Amino acid sequence: MNLLNKIKSFYNKYTDILRPMFVLTIICLVTAAALSVTNMLTATRIENLANQNKNREMSALLPAQNYREVAVSNKNSQLFLAQDESNFVGYVVTASAKGYGGDINIMAAINPDKKIIGVSILSAADETPGLGANVTKPEFYSQFAGLSANITAIKNTANPANNEIKTVTGATISSKAVTKAVNQALQIVEEYEKSLNTEGVQ
Amino acid sequence: MTTTIVSILLAGLLTENMVLSKFLGICPFLGTSKKFDTAFSMSLAVTAVMVIATAVTYPLYAFVLLPLNLAYLQTIVFILVIAALVQFLETVLKKYAKPIYESLGIYLPLITTNCAVLGITLLNFTKGYNFFESIINALSAGLGFMLALVIFAGIRQKVDESDIPEGLKGLPITLIAASIVSLSFLGFAGIGG
Amino acid sequence: MKKHFSYLTNGIIKENPVLRLVLGTCPTLAVTTAAVNGIGMGVAATLVLLGSNIAISALRKFIPDKVRIPAYITIIAGFVTIVQMLVKAFLPTIDASLGIFLPLIVVNCIILGRAEMFASKNSILPSVLDAIGMGIGFTATLTLMGSIRELIGAGTLFGFPITQQFISPMVIMLLPPGGFFVFGILVALSNKLATKAGKEPVKNLGCSSCPMASSCANKKEAE
Repeated sequence: MNLLNKIKSFYNKYTDILRPMFVLTIICLVTAAALSVTNMLTATRIENLANQNKNREMSALLPAQNYREVAVSNKNSQLFLAQDESNFVGYVVTASAKGYGGDINIMAAINPDKKIIGVSILSAADETPGLGANVTKPEFYSQFAGLSANITAIKNTANPANNEIKTVTGATISSKAVTKAVNQALQIVEEYEKSLNTEGVQ
Repeated sequence: MTTTIVSILLAGLLTENMVLSKFLGICPFLGTSKKFDTAFSMSLAVTAVMVIATAVTYPLYAFVLLPLNLAYLQTIVFILVIAALVQFLETVLKKYAKPIYESLGIYLPLITTNCAVLGITLLNFTKGYNFFESIINALSAGLGFMLALVIFAGIRQKVDESDIPEGLKGLPITLIAASIVSLSFLGFAGIGG
Repeated sequence: MKKHFSYLTNGIIKENPVLRLVLGTCPTLAVTTAAVNGIGMGVAATLVLLGSNIAISALRKFIPDKVRIPAYITIIAGFVTIVQMLVKAFLPTIDASLGIFLPLIVVNCIILGRAEMFASKNSILPSVLDAIGMGIGFTATLTLMGSIRELIGAGTLFGFPITQQFISPMVIMLLPPGGFFVFGILVALSNKLATKAGKEPVKNLGCSSCPMASSCANKKEAE
């Protein structure tokens, strides 16, 4: 009892300092608790959504039974080996490059001969709507199909030559950024194959 | 390495300028750009807080919140760190660096609610920068903020002396002037890509 | 009853947070590249405002004056994160278009401003009405600005083609300069209307609208 009274008198004596601390601590704890509950309720859904999106993109570009991720040196990229049964069908690579307003993220499917099967634009949120954002349209990114390493983007060309693509009108920077990212994806595959050869594993 | 640093610096200063292309920190941009001195001091204080806040929040997120699966507390922890930091800086400067406090101190409380500061600490992670790149990013964003404020302070002094239609006086003409300044910054797009 | 009604309508026109109080300028300029983003941002901010106004009004006697700003910020950041998680889980497209501006609702001056100016001084019901009114005012202004920029800049409205076919869109409206410009014109118009109604036009984004004004010496300089 005595102790309780002591605590009480101590609290009353220093109430100016203790009460704000006490209140702030309670508010922080309650908020943190509320957040962790919401997190529990939404976390799996958010994760599933992200995975679904990625899987949908991957299987749209290169249908396969499973995709096995392998480590690459470029921290902004991911490399997946697409496999059917035990047959290797190709690579799926994500890459990014700086566009007009921010990063453009792409995903490219590449066949074992290191030719592009298809490219899709994952995000180009910072590109100008109506100009740079047009790189997200199939008319642009479908040009990459069938091309191989060192693609160049050409402005105002009627028929792009071998390994060339035509830039979107008024959006040279965004088009070149996508091209750069695609070339990067090809290079990642190249480096990966090289590392396999030097290690002697197929 | 050098190319990354140069490209982050160029982005923060010109192409991805906090104020003129990312719309962060508009309140202090419009509020404190009336005079050159005020603009300069304010942006100096903002730059300092941005760099220190990044130095504190980066390890906190990478080594505490992430391993503990508490990434969802990011916003709340970051804003509290910034608020505490601003308070701390104010106290320290008041006690040990009177002259600096007298010139910068009055802007410090405004920085807590400056969305550019919270913005930069969050953007460091969305951009996937490492610690060193994050510090450079914070520094260049702060300097970009300074560039915008200082340029704009000069323009506003001219605008104030000009004859402006009644309806546009004050805030409207300030915003339209900002529009033209940001138009000129568009010209830098694509540099350092 | 009439008084309660005025709490609600206050934020919509008379004290419109964007055009009259000049609060929350950053998201106003940044997300209004399309009408639908304006609605998304407006609704998200309204939900946070509603939550924080209720919580702060309920706790107004419990929170000591000394630590009120950190306490408010904690409460607001909590609601922001909850809204952010819900949007991520159920409206991922909105999340993608609002980007970093979703967590930045924490430092949206409207929320902290209403906490400091209204919720900390009033009971729960008026605070709820104030939050709804301010929220509607914010959402409506953002949607209006988004519509103008989308119509001129892309020739569409809520994604539907309107003038796209016969007028070449002026993309500049969707870029940062367009944001500043449209906002400047809107403030000028709102000033014109305010003067007609016998009110003071908004001259400056002064410190009067800043929730930190009481602790800021800049205010004295302005006066």
